[in-house]
Amino acid sequence: MNLPSPHPSQTRSGVRWYLRHETLLAVLVLVEILIFASLGRRFGTADNAANIVRHSVEIGLLALVMTPIILTGGIDLSVGSVLGLCAVLFGKLWRDAGFPPWLAGVATIGIGSLCGAFNALLIARFRLPPLIVTLGTFSLFRGLAEAVTQGVDAFTNFPESFLFLGGGQLAGLPTQAWILVIAAVGLWITVHRMTFGRSLRTIGFSPEGARFAGLPVERRLVTCYVLAGAVAGVAALTYTARFGTAKADAGMGYELFAITGVVLGGTRILGGVGTIHGTLLGVAAVAILANGLTRVPSLMNIAGELSGMLTGIVLVLALAAGLVPSMIAARRPAPRDSLSTRNSTTTPSA
Amino acid sequence: MTKSFHAVQALKGVSFELREGEVHALLGENGAGKSTLIKVITGAHAPDSGTIEVGGCVVSSLTPVSAHAMGIACIYQQPALFPDLTVTENIGLRLDPPGGLLRVRWGDRRRRASELLQRVGAAISPDSEVRSLSMPEQQLVEIACALGAGARIVIMDEPTASLTLREQRLLFDVVRDLRSRGVGVIYISHRLEEIFALADRVTVLRDGQSVATHDLPKAGAENPSQAGLTEKELIRLMVGRDVQSAGATEPVPAGADRLSLRGIGCASSGVRDVSFSVRSGEVVGLAGLVGAGRTELARILFGITPASSGEILIDGQRVSIHSPLDAIALGIGYVPEDRRRHGLVLEMPVASNISMAVHSSFFRWGWVRRVAESKLADGFIDRLSIKCADSQAAGSSLSGGNQQKVALARWLATKPSVLVLDEPTQGVDVGAKSEIHRIIRDLAREGVAVLVISSDLPEVLQVSDRILVMRGGAVVSELPGGSAPDRVMAAALGKSEVAS
Amino acid sequence: MRNYFRELCVLAALFLMLILLAIFAPNFFELQPLQSRLTAAAPKLLLACGVALVIVAREIDISIGSLFALAGSGAAMAAAAGLSFPAAVAVALIIGLAGGAINGALVAGLRLPSIVVTLATMVIWREGLRLGQQGVFINLPPGTQWFGLSMAAGQGVVCGIAFGTLLLLALATRHLAAGRFIYAVGSDDEAARLAGISPRITRFFVFLLMGFLAGMGAVLNMVQSPQVDPNSGRGLELEAIAAAVVGGVAVTGGRGRLWGVLAGLLLLLCIGPALTYAGVRPYWEKAIQGGIILAAVVADGLRRQR
Repeated sequence: MNLPSPHPSQTRSGVRWYLRHETLLAVLVLVEILIFASLGRRFGTADNAANIVRHSVEIGLLALVMTPIILTGGIDLSVGSVLGLCAVLFGKLWRDAGFPPWLAGVATIGIGSLCGAFNALLIARFRLPPLIVTLGTFSLFRGLAEAVTQGVDAFTNFPESFLFLGGGQLAGLPTQAWILVIAAVGLWITVHRMTFGRSLRTIGFSPEGARFAGLPVERRLVTCYVLAGAVAGVAALTYTARFGTAKADAGMGYELFAITGVVLGGTRILGGVGTIHGTLLGVAAVAILANGLTRVPSLMNIAGELSGMLTGIVLVLALAAGLVPSMIAARRPAPRDSLSTRNSTTTPSA
Repeated sequence: MTKSFHAVQALKGVSFELREGEVHALLGENGAGKSTLIKVITGAHAPDSGTIEVGGCVVSSLTPVSAHAMGIACIYQQPALFPDLTVTENIGLRLDPPGGLLRVRWGDRRRRASELLQRVGAAISPDSEVRSLSMPEQQLVEIACALGAGARIVIMDEPTASLTLREQRLLFDVVRDLRSRGVGVIYISHRLEEIFALADRVTVLRDGQSVATHDLPKAGAENPSQAGLTEKELIRLMVGRDVQSAGATEPVPAGADRLSLRGIGCASSGVRDVSFSVRSGEVVGLAGLVGAGRTELARILFGITPASSGEILIDGQRVSIHSPLDAIALGIGYVPEDRRRHGLVLEMPVASNISMAVHSSFFRWGWVRRVAESKLADGFIDRLSIKCADSQAAGSSLSGGNQQKVALARWLATKPSVLVLDEPTQGVDVGAKSEIHRIIRDLAREGVAVLVISSDLPEVLQVSDRILVMRGGAVVSELPGGSAPDRVMAAALGKSEVAS
Repeated sequence: MRNYFRELCVLAALFLMLILLAIFAPNFFELQPLQSRLTAAAPKLLLACGVALVIVAREIDISIGSLFALAGSGAAMAAAAGLSFPAAVAVALIIGLAGGAINGALVAGLRLPSIVVTLATMVIWREGLRLGQQGVFINLPPGTQWFGLSMAAGQGVVCGIAFGTLLLLALATRHLAAGRFIYAVGSDDEAARLAGISPRITRFFVFLLMGFLAGMGAVLNMVQSPQVDPNSGRGLELEAIAAAVVGGVAVTGGRGRLWGVLAGLLLLLCIGPALTYAGVRPYWEKAIQGGIILAAVVADGLRRQR
């Protein structure tokens, strides 16, 4: 569980590994597992583990692609709506346009990318605030999904070959888990091992500083938002395959779950700091909590509400905990810097 | 009413006295300690030693609030106004008594605002939003605030830097009006003619010390020859007689033209028709006062604000630079003026900062090679003797001079053929400063064309083979490397006749 | 006039919409359905005003929908438990104030980003309420609906309270020093400090006011039906923010007027009926709302860049 953090300096310079956010979160996940394994009924079974994974793939995917965006200091509230629109359009393409499922799937991912590109256009090109742009597209994309289905239409009876994506198993894991694994590994490498991730952090810390260093700020932002759209399209496929139906309300509220996972995972909402494995742990903590509570007999009936509430409380605590390192830093004597000498240094060197 | 004090650390013993109903000019090069002095007077900085007296009483601790209460107002070059609110409201918020539950009397506010605006002679509607005003108009609003607050001491920090002639004249009338009301005005400006037209006395600061305080002839009975003499003296006082004018630079055999500018202009940043060349192996100093358009020119070269006219040539080839990426691809490096906001990303480690501009060439396929990166960084840490814990230390943990060296290392890593340095030694201690000068000379020896922008006159004289002086967005003068400092200063001030 | 340009644009759009409705769907203006529509919108108006001021102070609050539901259910439970109507109202207002104070303390006090703080409190209130109530509607004692008046009179009172509050708030933000502090803080923190205004206290106060308005909105919602739905208020935060943004409140802070917010809200509310009367399927409503928000944001962005 305890993933090694490869970038001591880039995550939280100066914070010991056992105090690092990801470590604490991993401990929290372990504690959750231990508690539910002892209190819960049939929590520790392989079936249940697969169940947890199956249920958290979509949120996991959205949280994964939300991480680079938040690293740049942005946000994307529209991913849940993109998921909904993609799910509906996938159904439309398959049932009404007669596309084979694989082709409809590819087209769906393309549609998701277009949605992301629309966000990117407004954010990177017109330089509008991401929060409010994606709030608008949140409404727009969900509205389009409703318009396409006239609010009632639902697509069902997908072929077995497609439903395998949502209910089948591949090499011992739920099929869709492989997508999550691929996305996680791919993103982990790009964010933690490639200059791409480095430049995202730079943009998050200081967009101006990144520009003056010659980093392609605009291009990076476009990539992040388009990627979010594309992956939301993929999530739409696994979501549809899992439920067997595509409706306009698919993925409603998922953007908030995704953001919760990211922030819980230690990503600073203002950008610059954050890890992919932290996000995965954040999503896992929420998913295990939600599942585990349903396995505890005395809490079974209120599991959903309780897990939601606890998630919110943990989120606030995680935020407040994020203040602690800066408080400690504030106690240390500040390095002698230029502020005190700025006006006194122009001495003649003769 | 006097205000006098001595000695702060950045200021090494300044005595300064302001009389009631006097315009007292404060002169000095950039970095001579004027801004620190202002900060002490407005309570933003506490003096380490010395005393401040206002109206005959010794003030033990001056805070911004108590300074305000004592009637000290300061008009900064960058006005601290509310951009989204109207002029009326900006003045109102500043002048109304504090207290959230009071009623806002818009009629009174508006009347007072238009009255104050009239007094400063500003043709600004009190209903216009501050966002829509030009910088000089915003300054006039600040002055109106100071007037309305009934300030007894008004500090003006280069108030005319961006004013038109008409606005300047109105401002002078305001200053004279203030003087006639018994207000003491501290007037900071680089424009000598203004000081002679306006000020009663002048104090010259140099290297954090007050060099001299002189009475000036009354503006009415002006004797041109006498004034001319004093002007010359003032320039001498500002630059200091003991500056070595030549010698520090050994001649480097300069090569062919590396960078050429032909008629470069940019409407939005006020750069006008700039033409010059820098040869490889040559250090060209770009002198001038703050706001002369030097940083703006550097930003054009680096593609931050592309030029709207003219052409740039690299090695005789016409190039187009629309973004920093273009500039880097052409071998241009730029160490910006504000290293905390632009020069470095302080939160990131030294190594990342150094490799930042070579992402695409150093890291093949976008793969971060941490070992190679550390080696690269360690190389520069050795070469530039950067003092830091290791290459993974955060930029913010370094001192100003070392931060500047990291900013420099970032561009050295790109192996530039043209390097533009904007105030490379601002806020840097003496030791680091001479090291940076040595690096600049070394670069030139390696054949880099270097353009050094600096407001530090001795520095420009020392490192440059050639000096270009900018004023008002244009290059006004070209001087050889060993020129006398007062000639450079005179050109920057627009006083060509002082050149001897 | 130049300063009111943005609000006038919204008003013009609203009037255009009303004229179109008058031509193509004159029965939109029949008194009874119109009155019902306005009454249903009254709580939204209060929330939109509150969130507009939060945005003016350069913050955001997305917990208001949940707080609205919590305050409404709290008041309903109090009333159902036998408390008098004024006491139930007090319960709603106190819950609202407490929720606002918690957000304010976390955002203004600890300087945590408001988007995440209010995301968390949104989930906590909502799930807490579901935990307590399990989605069961709360029956109100007889005499609570429409304040015990006739429906028409009750609707009048609800609308009156909403518009009265809007008027009061509009006057206060214009003519009370404290109201102007919100704009000052949202426009420039540093300049505010120089003018002797505390950004922290101002922001806290804004969140407190937001909570109070959410409580009030809950009361106006409660009296409209014999039961209170603990699931009410879902998505309300987004409707409120949309009304504020369309009404000319700049997301960059410091700008916006409450009567513009009213115009924005009415414009968004007209879309549904207009679609119905125009024969377009009503399912387009949300998409068109999103489009209008984006249009407003893009227009503001282009205007700012010029």
